[in-house]
Amino acid sequence: MTAILILVIALLAAACGMLLYLYTNTREACINLSTRLLQSERQNTQDQDALRQRRHLDTIKDEFISTVSHELRTPLTSIRGALGLLSAGIMGQMDDKAQNLLRIASNNTDRLVRLINDILDLERMDSGRAPLNIRRCSLPELVKSASDTMASMADGAGVKILILDAEDEANPEVFDGDSDRILQVLCNLLSNAIKFSPRGSEIKVTSQSDNETLMLRIEDHGRGVPAEKLESIFDRFSQVDPGDSKQKGGTGLGLAISRSILSQHGGAIWAERNDAGGNDNPGTTFLIRIPRVRVMADEPPPSPVRMQGAILVVDDDALVRQVVAEQLRRHGYDVLETDRGEQAIYIAERQHVEAILLDLYMPGLSGWETLERLKRNPNTAEIPVVVLSVLSPASHRAEGPHLLSTAQGWVQKPFNESLLLAELGRVLHTGAGPGRILLVEDDDVLADVVIAGFQDGGRQGMQIDHVHSLQEARRSCEKEPPDIMILDLSLPDGDGFTLVQWLREQPTLRKLPLVVYSGREVSADEMEQLRLGPTQFLTKTQVQPEHVEELVLAMVRNLRHPTLEAQTVS
Amino acid sequence: MMRRILIIDDEDDIREVAQLSLESIAGWQVSTARSGAEGIERAKADKPDAILMDVMMPAMDGPTTFREMQKLPETADIPVVLLTAKVQGVDQRRFAGLGVAAVLFKPFDPLTLADQMSSALGWS
Repeated sequence: MTAILILVIALLAAACGMLLYLYTNTREACINLSTRLLQSERQNTQDQDALRQRRHLDTIKDEFISTVSHELRTPLTSIRGALGLLSAGIMGQMDDKAQNLLRIASNNTDRLVRLINDILDLERMDSGRAPLNIRRCSLPELVKSASDTMASMADGAGVKILILDAEDEANPEVFDGDSDRILQVLCNLLSNAIKFSPRGSEIKVTSQSDNETLMLRIEDHGRGVPAEKLESIFDRFSQVDPGDSKQKGGTGLGLAISRSILSQHGGAIWAERNDAGGNDNPGTTFLIRIPRVRVMADEPPPSPVRMQGAILVVDDDALVRQVVAEQLRRHGYDVLETDRGEQAIYIAERQHVEAILLDLYMPGLSGWETLERLKRNPNTAEIPVVVLSVLSPASHRAEGPHLLSTAQGWVQKPFNESLLLAELGRVLHTGAGPGRILLVEDDDVLADVVIAGFQDGGRQGMQIDHVHSLQEARRSCEKEPPDIMILDLSLPDGDGFTLVQWLREQPTLRKLPLVVYSGREVSADEMEQLRLGPTQFLTKTQVQPEHVEELVLAMVRNLRHPTLEAQTVS
Repeated sequence: MMRRILIIDDEDDIREVAQLSLESIAGWQVSTARSGAEGIERAKADKPDAILMDVMMPAMDGPTTFREMQKLPETADIPVVLLTAKVQGVDQRRFAGLGVAAVLFKPFDPLTLADQMSSALGWS
């Protein structure tokens, strides 16, 4: 028995060694790629060659990371499984020493899995391959959720998490962000705080906010972080004490990931030492700052929305109407105004209104009633409505939950200009009409899977048309130009190159977004020949047909909302 | 309760570990297949209570195999649990949209694999 066990452990050690070697190499490869990329960018940003190389490298890096993820996890699954079964005693009970060896191997396998997850996370964020899924989030709700998630860990450590909720009803702590990502940060900070807190102590979570930003403090009474390490703990693989990763089971990447996430949100995270006050365990406070509206310094201001119609502002307060109208006009919107709900419905029915900003408390027909009538009326039901109210979506929840689901957006008074414009921009973008995708593919089975991918995703907003040949593709394009084309290179009556050449000659189609989905690798030269508007190259052997949906939708999102996710598509 | 499970995975080692886990920990009866095509044939012949299937397989991957089985009257009602080494949020959402009973992640814990399947399938 012991002989078998020793053999297993030896094999495991070899496997772990190999994985670590692989990891080191992959990391180096990624760093090399990034360095080459940076250098080429510096030399000449206008240089087409560098651009092409960059696109190529991005594709390689993407595929590489996805492959590494899968390839590392697969052997780990076998190792983890074999170890688990051995320690469960399916080969007979083992003595304590053997059990201990198995426990060591199991724990370290788990650690390796966490490490792989964290590394992939970081790489994806650094390369901009992890776009944020931005929506309105409530900070107190996320704090509560993180605290619930960490409750059993806290119980086990005999530590209490104390949330001091001081949210001002009139000014709720909401922000535009990716709730999953912020939750990840909060869990990470709480987990750290629990790990380093002495039994019987408390972790205090407090928040503070103003009109622009939200602040959160997580205060522990652990041994504290030395002053000289307050900044370096956010570096990768950095620990206050080199023994920590072994003892505490961390990967040394949690804080680096958290900082990356906050910086994606345009916020910040840092640590402060608590006032010692003669205490041996002064502890540490981690602080997070998140802007209510995500504003990135390096992003261009939101592009003006192409519109034919006007924005209708409905508010009985003339001053509010005046301020809002002025702000909107300054940003190129046409504005219509009214002080009554009845009038608003009348205007919306007869004029070209792109969106409605709606106050709730109005004499006569209230905002609630107006909203309901607008949505019931087939002529006005499709117009997006942004509620403009002193009420917060949260405080209103008890009164009428359906209001939140019928209005497309919400801006709370008092509001600032950027908040209003961001919310308006958001509803106008999401309100864009359905897109038409033209799939040019002669293989029916493959086409079915691609189409099924779109249908499974429940994308009613997307219309997908399938044609089998060059000839059909031309005809379909002439009849109605698609919004995006998915193109197989080998077709029964010609190849994709011929079609692209033809598309280039058509004034309305030469900038068509294109996804080349081919059976073979496409060379850099060929890529240039195939490039139309935004163009993405997918290889059938590497991208399963049902994954195409995700990439195409990402492209469509980018086209509609270029400021948020511009980096994901070349 | 004795359950009959079909495991479809192209990785020999993972198939073996999963089989051993479901047999020795849960006492279930397990048959295996090493590809989507073989899995469909097995499923037709064996009529298992549930299928545990890998996502990434050459030739026919998990989601494709699932869709094929949905089309066949003999296999359309067999619940499928997908097993994947991909952990990104988008993958999870996409797999959930397929209509499978559940998606479990690799590496799985062999001691709780049967429990996880049971609770996903509503078996008490």
